[in-house]
Amino acid sequence: MIGILRAAVLGFIILSVAYVLISIYSRSVRREKLEKKFDAGGIEGDRDAYIEDGMRAYEKGLRHRLLWLVYIIPALVVSATIYFINYQ
Amino acid sequence: MWTYVKWSFRILLLLLVGGFLHYTLPQHDIVRITNTYNRLTTVGSENSWAYASPDVGTGESTVTRDIRFIEAAFEDGSVIVYRNEDTGWIWPPYFKYDSSNLQAESGNLKSLQTAPKWVSVTHYGWRLAWLSIYPNAVSVKEVAGPDVRIIPYVNIIVLIALAFGVFMLRRMWLQFWERMVEPAVAEVGETWDGVEAQAGAAKARAGGFFGRIGAWFGTWRKKP
Repeated sequence: MIGILRAAVLGFIILSVAYVLISIYSRSVRREKLEKKFDAGGIEGDRDAYIEDGMRAYEKGLRHRLLWLVYIIPALVVSATIYFINYQ
Repeated sequence: MWTYVKWSFRILLLLLVGGFLHYTLPQHDIVRITNTYNRLTTVGSENSWAYASPDVGTGESTVTRDIRFIEAAFEDGSVIVYRNEDTGWIWPPYFKYDSSNLQAESGNLKSLQTAPKWVSVTHYGWRLAWLSIYPNAVSVKEVAGPDVRIIPYVNIIVLIALAFGVFMLRRMWLQFWERMVEPAVAEVGETWDGVEAQAGAAKARAGGFFGRIGAWFGTWRKKP
């Protein structure tokens, strides 16, 4: 029984590291995209303000929330494995 | 000389990763189960890595414990012995805890050579007689005949997922390099450009892999 808890804690730690890394990456890609869009021209106003606005929109957007899949998909995979190995 | 070292290292790495995957990923054998039993087995230090860890539930003693085995024969007459142990919760990630049921199912599928019942045994691991290690059976399923073709969906999915993971890691690393390290290196170059005498030293410091990483760490320091 203690084995399940240990695996859950370990899995949570590993997935949290993955979550942090992927969210840093995703943010960086978004910022780069905004910079390139502004630098391509045709946008009025301050560059920094434009980018900060874009980043705020990203924080609230669907893509940012999809990052929770980092936790959800492995949990589903493990549940499916347990079901197919032990109850089929 | 350096090329040989580099290639030996790469081949060694490939062998290690390939061997690890070959050991861990599931495989299917189509066999006829001939016997199921358990026997007291002594696990030594040289082969304990290929057995379940003792706290999994199969036995209490680390050295000698009762392990369930499944004996089977292929169509061509060659034989194979599987062990049937719970895997535990971390590695390998099969989360198997129904080995008693599996033993009962395998016993139920036993058949004689004259009236064979063909069974697809899903297993992972290797049979190495000289190390006394056995593949661990994960599930058994009766199939129509010895020539049934089984598509390894699990392996396909796992390998694609792994390749995707490696690809994403590479992308993340390149992004980090492009956005964090290279601008930092450029900044170091600019700072030092003013100090003519030390420009050479700064360039040397900012050169190479660790120099660049060091320059990136430098951006964390408070600006004077």
